[in-house]
Amino acid sequence: MTEQDLHKAYMHWLIQASGMGGRGFVRTLLAVAAPEELYELAASGRLADKTGKNYEKKAKLLEESARGFDVAGEYERLRGRGIAFVSAGEEAYPRRLAAIPDAPCALYYVGKLPQDDRKSIALIGARNCTEYGRAMARQFAAELAAAGVQIVSGMARGVDGIGQQAALEAGGYSLGVLGCGVDICYPPENRQLYERLIEQGGICAEYPPGIEPRALLFPPRNRIISGMCDGVLVVEAKERSGTLITVDMALEQGREVYALPGRVTDALSAGCNRLIRQGAALIGSPQELLREMGVDGAAPARRQERVPEAGGVRGRVMRLLDYQPRPLEELCRQYGETYGTPLTISELCLELLQLCADGYATQVGGLYAQKG
Amino acid sequence: MFSTITSGTICGIRSCMVQVEVDVSQGLPCFQIVGLPGSEVREARERVKVALKNVGIALPPACINVNLSPADIPKSGTMFDLPVAVGIMAALSKLPQEAVKDTLLIGELGLSGELKAVRGVLPIVREAVRHGVKRCILPAENAWEGALVEGADSVGVASLQETIEALAGTDGFVKIRARRKDGCVRTEGSAADKNGAGQSAAEGVRTAAGNAQEDFADMSGQESLKRAAKVAAAGFHNLLIVGTPGSGKTMLARRMPTILPPLSAEEALEVASIYSISGLLRTADGLRYDRPFLSPHHTITGQALVGGGRIPTPGIVSLAHRGVLFLDEMPEFKRETLDILRQPLEDRQVQIARNSGTYVYPADFMLVGAMNPCPCGYYPDMGRCRCTPHEVRRYLRRVSGPILDRMDICVEAYPIAFKEITEHRTGENSTQIREQVMRARERQKARFADTGIRYNADMKAADVDKYCSLGGRERHFMEKMFASMQLSARGYHRVIKVARTIADLEGSERIGEEHLAEAICYRHMEVFQ
Repeated sequence: MTEQDLHKAYMHWLIQASGMGGRGFVRTLLAVAAPEELYELAASGRLADKTGKNYEKKAKLLEESARGFDVAGEYERLRGRGIAFVSAGEEAYPRRLAAIPDAPCALYYVGKLPQDDRKSIALIGARNCTEYGRAMARQFAAELAAAGVQIVSGMARGVDGIGQQAALEAGGYSLGVLGCGVDICYPPENRQLYERLIEQGGICAEYPPGIEPRALLFPPRNRIISGMCDGVLVVEAKERSGTLITVDMALEQGREVYALPGRVTDALSAGCNRLIRQGAALIGSPQELLREMGVDGAAPARRQERVPEAGGVRGRVMRLLDYQPRPLEELCRQYGETYGTPLTISELCLELLQLCADGYATQVGGLYAQKG
Repeated sequence: MFSTITSGTICGIRSCMVQVEVDVSQGLPCFQIVGLPGSEVREARERVKVALKNVGIALPPACINVNLSPADIPKSGTMFDLPVAVGIMAALSKLPQEAVKDTLLIGELGLSGELKAVRGVLPIVREAVRHGVKRCILPAENAWEGALVEGADSVGVASLQETIEALAGTDGFVKIRARRKDGCVRTEGSAADKNGAGQSAAEGVRTAAGNAQEDFADMSGQESLKRAAKVAAAGFHNLLIVGTPGSGKTMLARRMPTILPPLSAEEALEVASIYSISGLLRTADGLRYDRPFLSPHHTITGQALVGGGRIPTPGIVSLAHRGVLFLDEMPEFKRETLDILRQPLEDRQVQIARNSGTYVYPADFMLVGAMNPCPCGYYPDMGRCRCTPHEVRRYLRRVSGPILDRMDICVEAYPIAFKEITEHRTGENSTQIREQVMRARERQKARFADTGIRYNADMKAADVDKYCSLGGRERHFMEKMFASMQLSARGYHRVIKVARTIADLEGSERIGEEHLAEAICYRHMEVFQ
């Protein structure tokens, strides 16, 4: 084991022994001593005397864990599980992240970490997104990734996961920052994405493996998401949304904030619209964003003609669909008003189902929308 | 002396004939009733004794024994007062035995000798006619019930005195003879107005057509909802309405009976019998041909739903027999309560076991459920819904899968636009829809002649293959949908059954692609889950 590995091994001991709430304590300790020294002190039971009364309880915990802890062995086991470890100050530690105040003293990761010399953007938004948010997340992530921008997000339901999925599908790189151990897939329904990220992108967390997701772990992880990036793109957010925590962090860290505008009546765009009013850059297309970020994007991909059999009834139905899901009845009435020839509900159902089966439309409960 | 009077009792839903045997003999004075009498039957002794005294018949100091045969069936109810009283008179030779031949007697006595209404007259009279009874002497208030049954004279009497006169053959008594024509009960007899019974029977008739204060034309917009209701009615499919608050779920459900075909004469009697047993048959209604509509509150207990009690009385599901059982706010019902519905939905009847025997009640109803899609009611409108995906899922899971499985048609109700409220575009009214439904029913009747299946909804998997063959194009379409919609085998059969009904509504023997497509659109509850 090299000296550097040994240093990491001690670091791993320190992080996993100090528990989830011990971030501040660990930083304080590291300011005065190296992890090796701390281990020596803890193992010989002298740490608590050194730290003084205020930290006695936490120090005792460290002392307890140091007893009989196989430092090198535990680290080997961690590596054996395919989990990599990088601590602050190392060459491999992401440069952007290192620059933020309160940077994590180490990261656990699987797959690859983002490259420092390529642009990164955090693509974030509501978990309960609308079909519009879904479509935009997919489109932006795909085009940005294709232009070589790294997509960082939290692998959550909704915008986060959809964007990351699209980035990977476009052959780009994406990093998922978790609020639990990297060996735990949360939310569980994103299992496929999780596995694909490991292969094609990366998963990282500041918490040691085995830590279960808990509500209080997520806000601190948001600072890593914004910290890893040059800017943050908010796709959809309500007036009061968890997404805005990340935006606050980004502003503190001096990152750019970009937002997609929405209709003023849409609750899920209210947060974005307010950010724009407060000075966030309004982004109308992936190309605009690429220009803002100073990336030479490819010429805008010609938007695919998404209307099948443009002349037929199916094409007409398709043109009625919107990202906003709408009930059968409304579509039926609008068809009659727009084209002058009424369509029965049965006939409309047939066209819609065919469109859904062919991947042009999507069904949300009893509502139908254009697939993004 | 000994005498026998024909009477009857109710045993669960079944009615059975009871011979009231009375013997008056020398011995220590006593008066006892045997043959598993319930406490109300036993109390008949006191009522009979006093009533007889008050009409001028003093009981001699003799040993009076009354046996209710068959003696192994538990008897309850107050309908034995009259037969016991008349039996004693016959045994004392105050009446000739001939006078009570082929005559059914039922009624509760007051101390003055007046006759009061009892429950369950209709089913008892039906059973009696089957056993060859020619004349029924009933409390005046119940006489119209008896008159609904063909094959016997129904005589309404107001007191014990009148009973004696009627039995003795004195003229001037109302004879209500049943005759059904145009859903009406007519009375015959010279003095129809004499005791009011004839009048109520004639006047109280309410034909189904006269019942439509609620109409589909009242509902503005909601065309897809109305369409789903029409399909459900045509095939007797269970219907689930999912929708935001105030979108007309309850309004639609209340109008379901107005588009269902009226009850046939046999069905109407069947339904009236259940109501008669429950004591819910109101004189003013006459024989009703409209379908029952029951809408229990979600705090209802399991017992109230399927029937309960030591001798069980019919529950809500039986009162909804041949009609509509509407469960508003389905997820608010206790899960166990809803799960109780599984057996009646499958077997179309309810079996209740008690130590006195097993009781079977009919429960062939159409289940209409209404629910919000999530606790706040706006899912999947993400702009307004405040619920987390987890909350939505938990809410929907409160209705158990097996119950949702039996909802053939699931439709969503959306808040209607202002334009639609103000437009006053009146769509089809209930009468028009009912005509279409009845035409679809005719097709089903012809198709399922002599098979025991009545509606498309009754078809089992094997029947679906037999009666709903698909053409090549349609088969190919279903194959594509099966894959893209992730249908289950059960879901597949459900789609075909509903498509069969839609085709029947359209008057087509062939099931077309558009019928299948519409049927698939009615199954998105699975998409939610």
